[in-house]
Amino acid sequence: MFVLTKFKHELRIAPQKLSLPLLEAITSEIQSLFFDKVIKDVGLCITLYDVRSVEGGFVFPGDGAPRFTVDFQLVMFRPFIGEVLTGKLKKCDKSGLYISLQFFEDVHIPEHLLQQPSVFDEDEKLWIWNFNGNDMFMDLEEEVRFRVVQVKYPTIPTEQDKGAKPFAPMEIIGDINADGLGLVSWW
Amino acid sequence: MKVLESNAGLLSNLEVLELLRQRGAAKGPLGGSITPVEYKVYEYLIETPAGTQTREAIQEFVKEAKTFKLMEAERLQSVNLRPATAVEVHLIVEDCDERLSSEAVDALIETVERIIPIPPEKPQEEDEVVQEEDGEGEEVAEDRE
Repeated sequence: MFVLTKFKHELRIAPQKLSLPLLEAITSEIQSLFFDKVIKDVGLCITLYDVRSVEGGFVFPGDGAPRFTVDFQLVMFRPFIGEVLTGKLKKCDKSGLYISLQFFEDVHIPEHLLQQPSVFDEDEKLWIWNFNGNDMFMDLEEEVRFRVVQVKYPTIPTEQDKGAKPFAPMEIIGDINADGLGLVSWW
Repeated sequence: MKVLESNAGLLSNLEVLELLRQRGAAKGPLGGSITPVEYKVYEYLIETPAGTQTREAIQEFVKEAKTFKLMEAERLQSVNLRPATAVEVHLIVEDCDERLSSEAVDALIETVERIIPIPPEKPQEEDEVVQEEDGEGEEVAEDRE
């Protein structure tokens, strides 16, 4: 679920932060630059693990701020393929299920990766798994266990239709078509 | 920005939770210097089995689980998800039928249950409803008496 990733970045520390101890100033700068951001093919940044080295501190002509080259490690949210995760069912529509991990909302389980046979109930707007003649409802807010099939990093669209769903820089495609997957309460 | 090493190691849920605790996540989103995303992760993790785990328990589990010849990712998943049934073990362990006999699966579940603490209980609304109904039922019974 979480991995460590090593980065090197040249940080500009604003002059008003120079009264702080250097490490604190660097931490707050990394916090505002990286936390809660998705880096393509690396994942969603959660928090700072450690600062490994700080070099430099040059002030360029015409600029009132020093620049440090910092080596640091961040905790990234990047599930591996085949990892089993649990989240809450947030939304259902004809295309499948949408699951929230509270800190990450863009998990989609497409129709063809639901338990077979599953049908979409138009009246209730819910998916139903028909298991040996029993209708098993997938109610909203229920806990769902799923397996990661793919992690996508879509390119930023240049144009977006009005009313289109907000752009997600990182998407997880999940699968619940196996024993033990689906609503946690089923098993 | 330069990514020096994209995968410098996997972290268990407990390690992330400990890190967030160190950064003052327990004080809440407004109390410490913590960002909203860190607090959301903290809230998510505190409800997973990691919420009650300790470093010592994990180390002991990793030592004992060597007999099952699990891969690193499978060990990590066992710690993060704390499988309590055979069906969960089959999910976590790849080609479980070939690699583990049903006795080995039982032994793995037993090891997990013995070493890794029980996950925090979730506040279950349904239970409360049932209890309330029970209460009403008793009242009705008393009325009848």
